[in-house]
Amino acid sequence: MKALLALALLAGAAQGTSDNIRFITCPIYRDTDSGKKSGCWLAEDRATGRRYDVSLSIAKPDWNHEVLVEGRRAATKDNPCGGVVLDAVRTSILPGDCTRQMLPAENYTGRKFALPRRNVRPIYDPAPPPAGPYGAKSFHLLFDFDQPFLIYQYDDYYLDQAIAWIRAAKPHAIMVTGYAATTPTRVSGRMIAEDPAIARIRAERVAEAFVRLGVDRRIITVRWRNAATPLEVPEADGLIEPSRRRVDIDVTP
Amino acid sequence: MAREQSRSRRLAAPLAIAASAALLSVSIAARAQYADDWWAPDSGRTFPAQADYGNGAGSLRVLLTGGPMETKGHPFFSATGPNGRACITCHQPADAMSLSAERAQARWEATGGKDPLFTAYDGSNCPTLPQGDRASHSLLLEHGLFRIQRPWPPRDLAGKLITPDFDLAVVRDPTGCESGNYGPAKGNISVYRRPRPVANLKYLLAIGFAYDPKQGMPLPLDPESGKPMSGNLMADGRAGTLNGQMRDASATHLELTRHMDAADMARIMDFETRIFTAQQSDAKGGPVDAGGAEGGAAKLAHSQAGQLGDYGHPVWSEFAAWEKQVLGLTPEQAAWRASVARGAKLFRDKTFLISDSAGINSPIGFGNPVRNACAFCHNMSQMGNDVAPGQVDLGTTNQPFADPMPWLPLFRINCKGPAHPHYGKVIYTSDPGYALTTGRCADVGKITLQSLRGLSARAPYFSNGSAKDLRGVVDFYERRYKIGYTEQEKQDLVNLMSAL
Repeated sequence: MKALLALALLAGAAQGTSDNIRFITCPIYRDTDSGKKSGCWLAEDRATGRRYDVSLSIAKPDWNHEVLVEGRRAATKDNPCGGVVLDAVRTSILPGDCTRQMLPAENYTGRKFALPRRNVRPIYDPAPPPAGPYGAKSFHLLFDFDQPFLIYQYDDYYLDQAIAWIRAAKPHAIMVTGYAATTPTRVSGRMIAEDPAIARIRAERVAEAFVRLGVDRRIITVRWRNAATPLEVPEADGLIEPSRRRVDIDVTP
Repeated sequence: MAREQSRSRRLAAPLAIAASAALLSVSIAARAQYADDWWAPDSGRTFPAQADYGNGAGSLRVLLTGGPMETKGHPFFSATGPNGRACITCHQPADAMSLSAERAQARWEATGGKDPLFTAYDGSNCPTLPQGDRASHSLLLEHGLFRIQRPWPPRDLAGKLITPDFDLAVVRDPTGCESGNYGPAKGNISVYRRPRPVANLKYLLAIGFAYDPKQGMPLPLDPESGKPMSGNLMADGRAGTLNGQMRDASATHLELTRHMDAADMARIMDFETRIFTAQQSDAKGGPVDAGGAEGGAAKLAHSQAGQLGDYGHPVWSEFAAWEKQVLGLTPEQAAWRASVARGAKLFRDKTFLISDSAGINSPIGFGNPVRNACAFCHNMSQMGNDVAPGQVDLGTTNQPFADPMPWLPLFRINCKGPAHPHYGKVIYTSDPGYALTTGRCADVGKITLQSLRGLSARAPYFSNGSAKDLRGVVDFYERRYKIGYTEQEKQDLVNLMSAL
């Protein structure tokens, strides 16, 4: 069943359907001002001429660099930034240079900042420990393209959930598996694929994160895989390609 | 010594009364008292539980929780090394436990440059210079800068060699210290920095979150204790704990040839974690804890450290009571209080576009640019430092954003691996900052956020002393980020910072 799902997801990705939009472009910043973090990020798919609002991406673009946009059209008709709203959406910063581009607000309001739902609580206000029973459990951390960086208010949230579970469950073994999306895919007229080395870097980084959080290094096994296939997990928000770029954490009681 | 103590008490008395006429005379008197306020090593004085010290803006209060402490034989106050210095030499109570350039000048005048403060190793521009010449100490006297000698290539906390992902070449060497035994060719690099205040340390050591969003990892662990480190102690993060800082300082600033023993380090830590300081009274506006405001050191000493302003007490909400007009004040007092209150709101609420600043715009995911306010980074309640480890590149040391500083060395950084996200492959800097600890091109010019308390007592500002006064700080931000502050807003921010 899982394999069928993966095939279905792959087919959608290859066709670039509206359910899974994917393109590379130079981002545009629109200087809307509804308070802190209220600026808009726009990205135009040059192949279709359609301008998307990618502001809801977890990690935002850099106006000096190309971005890989991966997203799905939102059901909303709201247009606070001047583009078709993508939600869910990811924007991975690529090395390619861009001429920075900023548009004025032009009567668009942007979005007033709201704390993302995936946020880590401060140490002085800890969440209660997860309830048992503490059977085998898996966690997933997803990454931006070719990056091992644990994304703020996303990966740290899931890492925090994992460590809370591990502290409560006191498992005997933790398997950390890093994946890289090394199978080339065509996006905006170019073939892109992740560096195979990034799978190992991701896995080792997550293992090191667990050690810093107090996990005994001896119970952690680290491995890595290339040519990753998609995985349908809540962490991916239904997006196909980002689910290939991940680390799986399998906790065995 | 007795005379010095009585002078501090004499200063404190009229301020407690808060008579505005007396305040003016205190302000004038404050400028003339630097020699008397100097705390020399081995002076055998009692460190008081509370003392006020005059400065150009008003007065600073220094609190020692747990009561007064005899300093005779105390390792913070004792000159145990060959250069005659103790920790107290460069961390003076009257200067908010830092050292102002003005006080360094006064000390030079008082001693003819013979004070251990001006020791060749780091109190001169370079040990190779003629030490009797005032010009050889110009960086300390004019800019409040000490020479910081770092290993090149860098070493990690355990002393292991790091292979940096960048090359470093000396472009300009006005002190002569980037050549010969002190230069990169011999495994060293000299940078010049202001001493950070040894006070309010519970805030700098506090851990608000388990993760460092700027590095995308949980906080690093102290190799000694195995506990996470806040990352907010030193300008370049070269030590993450007070013990680490003590080891570094004793081997360099004190030139000790042996390690401090555990008992001495414990005594220093006990002292350092009990000391709190903040501006207590303003010459124009009076006490900062009057009229419902909660400024001053006492609030700092008794508040919980490490809390994010967005979650609980908004940053500088200590002055919220001054947003309302109160009867019975002189026009000057009322105007100053209103200005401080406006400054606090500006600090929290006036947003601007922050761009090309590593540690903010990369790699954390906020975007480049991102719209936010001063309190975005200066986000800790009561203190205004960063709850997360605060390594950020504001551009105070990196060109083209840094002001021209021909008196400082200039380095050319060539990134061998990935380009720096905002500068590209080549960076010119007067201080690589955090990159001297990590060896990463992406960290060039990152400097740990400064403490914002007791500012009036310890000009100049920024790690390299490039802002000679608080207006200079505001002007730098205005130029760097094109904020568009009005003249009134600039003055409001200056008044706020002077009250901290």
